[in-house]
Amino acid sequence: MSILKTSFYSGVLLLLTALPSTAAPNPRLAKFWPLKPVVRPSVPGGEAAGVNPIDAFLRAKQAEKGLQPTGPADKRTLLRRVYLDLIGLPPSPEEQDAFLRDTAPNAYEKVVDKLLASEQHGVRYARHWLDVLRYADVDDRMAAESGIHHWRDWVITALNEDLSYDKFVRAQLTGYRDGEYTSINENGNRSRSAPRPFDLFALGFHARGQVSRDGNDTQELPIAAVETISTAFMGITVGCAKCHDHMYDPVSNRDFYAMKALFDPLTVKRIRLASEQDTVQYDRAYSQFRMKKAAAQKKVEELIAPYKVKLFAHLMETLTPEVQAVFRKPEKQRTAAEQKIADDYHVIFKVTGAGLKPFMTPEVLKQYSELQKAADAIRPPADLAEFWTVEEDSSRLLQPSYILSSGEPTQPQKDKPVDPGFPFQPENLEFRDGRRETFAEWLVAPENPLFARVAANRLWQWHFGKGLQQNASDFGTLGGKPTHPELLDWLASEFVANQFSMKSMHKLMVTSAAYKMASEAKPELVSTNNTIDPANTFLWQFRLLRLEAEPLGDSVHAAALDLDLTVGGKSFQLPADDGKRKTAATESKPTQPPHQRRSIYMQRGYHQSMDVMPNFLQVFDAEDGRAPCPERTRTVTAPQSLFLMNDKMMVDASVKFAERLREVSRGDLSSAVELGYRIALSRPPSNREKDNALSYIENDPGRLDRFTWLLFNLDEFFYAR
Amino acid sequence: MRDNYPCGKISRRQALHRFGLYGPAIGALWAQDGKLTDGALSPNLPQKAKSVILLFMCGGVSHIDTFDPKDNKWAGTMMDAVGFGDNLAERKRPVIPCRRTFKRYGQSGIPVSDWFPHVGSVIDDIAIVRSMWSHETNHFPAVIETATAHRGRQFDHPTLGSWVSYALGTANKNLPAFVNIGRPSSSVQLSGGYLGASQAATPFQAGAVPIRNLNPPKDLSAAERDRQMQTLTKLNEEFRHTYQLNSDIAARVKAYELAARMQLSAPALVDFANEPKSVLDQYGIGDNVTDDFGRQLLLARRMAEQGVRFIQICHAGGGNGVWDSHFDMAAHEPLCRATDKPIAGLISDLKQRGMLDSTLIVWTSEFGRTPWSQHDDKGRDHNALGYSSWFAGAGIKGGTVHGATDEVGYKAVEHRHYCSDLQATIVQQTGLDYKKMQFRSNGRNFHLIEEGDGPIMEIIS
Repeated sequence: MSILKTSFYSGVLLLLTALPSTAAPNPRLAKFWPLKPVVRPSVPGGEAAGVNPIDAFLRAKQAEKGLQPTGPADKRTLLRRVYLDLIGLPPSPEEQDAFLRDTAPNAYEKVVDKLLASEQHGVRYARHWLDVLRYADVDDRMAAESGIHHWRDWVITALNEDLSYDKFVRAQLTGYRDGEYTSINENGNRSRSAPRPFDLFALGFHARGQVSRDGNDTQELPIAAVETISTAFMGITVGCAKCHDHMYDPVSNRDFYAMKALFDPLTVKRIRLASEQDTVQYDRAYSQFRMKKAAAQKKVEELIAPYKVKLFAHLMETLTPEVQAVFRKPEKQRTAAEQKIADDYHVIFKVTGAGLKPFMTPEVLKQYSELQKAADAIRPPADLAEFWTVEEDSSRLLQPSYILSSGEPTQPQKDKPVDPGFPFQPENLEFRDGRRETFAEWLVAPENPLFARVAANRLWQWHFGKGLQQNASDFGTLGGKPTHPELLDWLASEFVANQFSMKSMHKLMVTSAAYKMASEAKPELVSTNNTIDPANTFLWQFRLLRLEAEPLGDSVHAAALDLDLTVGGKSFQLPADDGKRKTAATESKPTQPPHQRRSIYMQRGYHQSMDVMPNFLQVFDAEDGRAPCPERTRTVTAPQSLFLMNDKMMVDASVKFAERLREVSRGDLSSAVELGYRIALSRPPSNREKDNALSYIENDPGRLDRFTWLLFNLDEFFYAR
Repeated sequence: MRDNYPCGKISRRQALHRFGLYGPAIGALWAQDGKLTDGALSPNLPQKAKSVILLFMCGGVSHIDTFDPKDNKWAGTMMDAVGFGDNLAERKRPVIPCRRTFKRYGQSGIPVSDWFPHVGSVIDDIAIVRSMWSHETNHFPAVIETATAHRGRQFDHPTLGSWVSYALGTANKNLPAFVNIGRPSSSVQLSGGYLGASQAATPFQAGAVPIRNLNPPKDLSAAERDRQMQTLTKLNEEFRHTYQLNSDIAARVKAYELAARMQLSAPALVDFANEPKSVLDQYGIGDNVTDDFGRQLLLARRMAEQGVRFIQICHAGGGNGVWDSHFDMAAHEPLCRATDKPIAGLISDLKQRGMLDSTLIVWTSEFGRTPWSQHDDKGRDHNALGYSSWFAGAGIKGGTVHGATDEVGYKAVEHRHYCSDLQATIVQQTGLDYKKMQFRSNGRNFHLIEEGDGPIMEIIS
């Protein structure tokens, strides 16, 4: 292994042998292109200095198709694009000036380096990954709700530290970022070094899957693990195989449940994060709560005791004589049939307030409700900080796993036990090191062609708007084939050669000429190219990209100067506009202006009976995290327009933005307009735009509020061009 | 060009490419009538229904206690209730008695429970199908199945209203083609799915604020907003010129236009000031019990008048749905009372206006309820194997009962209709061929309807 790694990292090699021992004699596997080894293609025209190999690949394809690429974007356009891409925020006027002044040949590269080093980069790219990994703050009854944000913050930190992609994935699967073992004892057992304490939070990835629906534990954790891991890291949709063998891809029903068996032993476990002092204090407060509560509840019980007797007698009368007779018999004397009747009917005797009330006089009723109210008012102390992780339950390790009928956890097919495993696994695989560990070792190996390809394609998609393989989570038969297979393989091999450094891949991509191209072209060029490639599949111009919810919201607050850039912490909820919103996992007080935190910290998720996501996130297509999301939908709808036109968030921000302009321009409306354009669009207005704006403002600084509203509603504000 | 599935959805741009609609006619939200030219989707059957009003009762209505009376002589019979609905324990349960009384109404003499006397009074306009069935027995999957005619969300099938509005476009450019009123059980009931988010339902509320962010800030005069919009157009000019071939930008132009028009038209739509008191009374508006639903149905009628294609009304939604009466069927009573008079009011109002012939009203739930109880003898469990839906208006043969469940109301046995037959019937009455409602994506054809037998011809006149 170490020899292999050395040769990889020297960047020499690159004839990867895929899945050496996988080579099951399965003709379906042999035909499945994503499993073919990554063979580093030679760069068209050779690896010339000064030419980014990405461009060499793209140009070769364009030449082949007869496409002429458009020219480079101007410096301002490029600067706004790369800021919104890498940190999700627009450049400030000062940052724009600095870049325009810098005439050094590497001026752009310096900006890229600065952005990649910024802690806001992790905030931006964590959001991409969290979509794929189905992060949510709320999901019906998610066991891990309290403290789930520590997983989100782990992802942010990992990206900021440029944790290599293999470690990034391995840590979330196993809690260990490395696969190495430290020692072998006399019995030949290998032992691991303790994992880094911080990597505990990576396991939020698994804990997130533990939810109950309709009050039932639907055993979704292992199923969510399979569905997320297979799409996110392997680029195959095994979901179909949950109920039947995959119709198109070489994934069987058995494969799905074998993979599920990797995670079947996992149970969620709560970890307290509180300090010793807080723990002691909590304990005292809790004891007091218990005492007070018991005393108050006792009063209630004393009051209702006689009515309970009456209620019981009444309920008894509603039953048929036969059933009554059963209940009158002591339990031990009942026959099996009688006991079954008793079981069927026993719920009828449930004591409820509504059942008791008809037996009470108004005075007693009043007393009852007062006492109950007093008892209910005694609340336990606020919970201690905690986090939910996962552990392997040793007893579950011994239980066999089964294929489930229609994926129903309650319907295991006992005649179809499955051993742990996974699609495309090597032969004679042993799980000596643990199920997840063995799987992770295979998954993140440099020679696994799925792993590097899928990731390299995702990074590409996040920079260029679409993946080279457009279905970023489905490299299978239904997902279609990549537009530039050679480029994709070259990127995958480069990713491996760069030791899975995501930041080095970001830099490689955003410094390509393709990335620096304009998103517009001369009409003649457009009409020629449109006849060949109207969808711009071969990137003859850059794609005009609608901002996602988060960079849009953050840009609004950045302009209003009320954006709080603190990294990490609990999610927040915008004040509810309908009073019906669940805020369980969030800060107890919504963040009040002027400190608006970045949109990644806005509560998201799903709850059956309440709106948990702010309207803002819903309108602009943020996902609720119930399923892995490989690519955000980018809709353009009337409700979005109404939000930008009329929502209080926009109106308030317009006022603050205008105050900022008034303050800086000191009454010079022409420079206020200029500054407004530079803040909102990273460019000065054209003369015509300036004239129109000034004529709208009518020399009245008070009308700047309305002008900033116009800026927020411009098409150009909503897009990165 | 390659198909793409962002989160299982399809971008509008691709939809446009696929249907050759690159250009101004973008989606039903703003498509003008008749712009959709694709032969497969254009009306090729007589269009009976110009508008559809779908009344969806969230949580599972007991057919046994409403429109499908059963003889109580079976009460006490033990039935196999293993692994059914919410109940996964292995046990047999006794059939419980129905505590309702049924009265025969109208010339047809169709029996209706004492919970729906007003609906009974218009029963001669209604065709009840007592033999609906579906697969899913729990709320969330069942709502998905009945809303999309498909199980699960793997392929992100759109809800029926999206299909209809997508296929027909809008008849009124000032309003969306597909509107939802009331809280649904699942966002899937609003989803445009692979047809694109512009086909999703636009949510309305029957209050002073019909949709969110509809009203400009209070301190902004209408004249000032007008000026803002004009200036906005001017300031957008250069950018829009540069990207004039980009369909997203074209869509955005239209989105702003519709938003602006809705600001003008929607407030008038929800303002009932000019409705005579007799009409308000008809819907039960002003009476606490019926006010809420009555307002929703009057709004629905006003939308139908204005040419909204598909008006979906979710009653008692959110979570499992309030109709979910496991513990005591008495929980149905207030819900029936809240909806009974408004529903009858809607039907008679449409009739008086001569609109019933061109408006299809459909009443359904995600499933029915079992003949037995899980608890004592009062509540009922979920039952997808047999339940009732009903239709009225737009070419429906009123005063009809079609299909039947078995003697206890457990399974549909006569003229069984899978839930997609309800969808096929709606689609057919809007003048569309249900077999041609297909959408090619990712190398396979997706059909609105894949199971079932098609439209329920026996209830169509």
